[in-house]
Amino acid sequence: MMHNIDERQQALLLNEKSIKKRKISTGIQYTLAILVTIFMLFPLYWMLISSVKSQEEILRALPTFWPHEWHFENYKNVLQRANFSKYYYNTVVMTAGILISQVVTGVLAAYGFSKGKFKAQKFLFLLVLGALMIPLQVTFIPLYIMFANWKLTDTFLGLILPEMVSPYFIFMMRQAFLTVDDSYIEAAKLDGMGRLGIITKVLVPMCKSTLITITLVTFTNGWNSYFWPKIIAKNEVRRVLTVGLVHLRNTFAGLDTMNNHEIMAGAVLSILPVIILFFIFQKYMLTGYEKTAMK
Amino acid sequence: MKQRIPIQRRIRAGKDFATVLPALLFLGLFVYYPVVQVVRISFTNWNLINDNYSYVGLKNWVWLFQGSGTKYLINSFKVTALFTLGELSITIIGGMIFAVILNRITTSFSVMRALIFLPKYIAMSSAAVVFIWILNTQNGILNFLLAQFGKAPVNWLGDKNRALFSILMLTGWRTVGYGMMIYIAAMRGISKNYYEAASIDGATKWQQFTQITIPILSPTTLFLFVTTFISAMKVFQSVDVMTAGGPYRSTEVIVYMIYKYAMEDFRMDRASTIAVVFFLVLLAITAATMKISNKRVNYDA
Repeated sequence: MMHNIDERQQALLLNEKSIKKRKISTGIQYTLAILVTIFMLFPLYWMLISSVKSQEEILRALPTFWPHEWHFENYKNVLQRANFSKYYYNTVVMTAGILISQVVTGVLAAYGFSKGKFKAQKFLFLLVLGALMIPLQVTFIPLYIMFANWKLTDTFLGLILPEMVSPYFIFMMRQAFLTVDDSYIEAAKLDGMGRLGIITKVLVPMCKSTLITITLVTFTNGWNSYFWPKIIAKNEVRRVLTVGLVHLRNTFAGLDTMNNHEIMAGAVLSILPVIILFFIFQKYMLTGYEKTAMK
Repeated sequence: MKQRIPIQRRIRAGKDFATVLPALLFLGLFVYYPVVQVVRISFTNWNLINDNYSYVGLKNWVWLFQGSGTKYLINSFKVTALFTLGELSITIIGGMIFAVILNRITTSFSVMRALIFLPKYIAMSSAAVVFIWILNTQNGILNFLLAQFGKAPVNWLGDKNRALFSILMLTGWRTVGYGMMIYIAAMRGISKNYYEAASIDGATKWQQFTQITIPILSPTTLFLFVTTFISAMKVFQSVDVMTAGGPYRSTEVIVYMIYKYAMEDFRMDRASTIAVVFFLVLLAITAATMKISNKRVNYDA
């Protein structure tokens, strides 16, 4: 009996010790996590406050960590004088074009490759997967020549065409459709639904979260694209935000620090829609990559 | 009756095929056809300045492998390899460290994780101009902070020994959160039993980490390795915005080299030759990594 109590006391003591230990380690973890977060957010913070500083303030030898005066006209200058409003329009149209066509062709093809039945299906699907291994960085030369011949430089069509079909979209959507049991489709067929009905009323609603996730990936990829727009739409008329921002920087490159406040305002403007989407659809945007990773 | 069924079936197959046709046509026209073309152009003397071109056999290939282009090709592969190594280390090691720090199930931690992951969604061009400003030699905040520790101003982007490192700072900032998220997702899947058993056996936290966490996460590490490897090989944007391949070609990665020959010198012939080489290297790497990961999967199963 004595022995038993002794053991219990010892256990209690150990427990107290371990609780204390755990508290300390929790404290350390919190501190480290906050430090890491501040470190990672600093570039964004610096961009934001630089974007509202005056030219004089941004060039001070002693940098200010909080703007003395707020100059929101930097944004107006960028939108009007640097023509970012035009770039915005171009980016919106290009992204919308890419988004709509990738969703339509992607969902259709995903249906065909998951629930359809036709000759050489496996082989054709391998062709789709094979396209994943051929980056634009390899094919852009003939594409550029082709598009120049078709007079598609500096046009929306030129910006959108090479991005109209995404093998990644088809692949991910097909994986999702495969998880839907065939009995649902048979039931829909008995109800007299055609293929389009089955896709829009059965498959898509059942795979909504996958569709949202991949569509968000498509949107950000389109909005942030740089390589192809830089090649095909160099000139002002169809220049997009990413290219326009770098152009704004390069026009002042010789002057180095001259207009960094305006460049930062341009940077904020060009990432704003994606950031807003990120906070609205956080759930989907955070799991998007994990889903592909778990595959 | 006997004949109607095959016909119906054929119609059904035709309709099913019609759903994949638009995608296939586009991939054929804008992906597969250009691959054939780029190989063809590598055997011509096509530049955009002349209207005509002719076939010149292996001239471009000789230029690239036994001529004045060779040293630039070697340089570009070297730079790309260094960059890839850097991005891999940051994503895998940094991602793992961040994952350990941020793996806690509370609201505040999930907010912090989201904020750390956010840079992945920031357009590379925007992030690049922000980093150019931060790294500015005279007015940049980084040099200001370093000066507080008595360091002389560093020329981050103009020094050929530092430029690639500076680009890696930007790249690392954008990808480390991705590595973290992938690792955390995988860590959540590890059964608690392993750790309980280990701590009963008297294993320290560090031993648990090196002998349980890291080995169990090896398929995740492999996944990160493969995806990061392939995407790092294709780096272009950060280089284009931050250094334009300079100074003295010290950041001229392979894609930038292709781009420069094609869009600045209009040497479509030479650029295509490099592009074909690059494509073959990518294919070889993809095939190799697939083989490794298949082996690994079987081994685990």
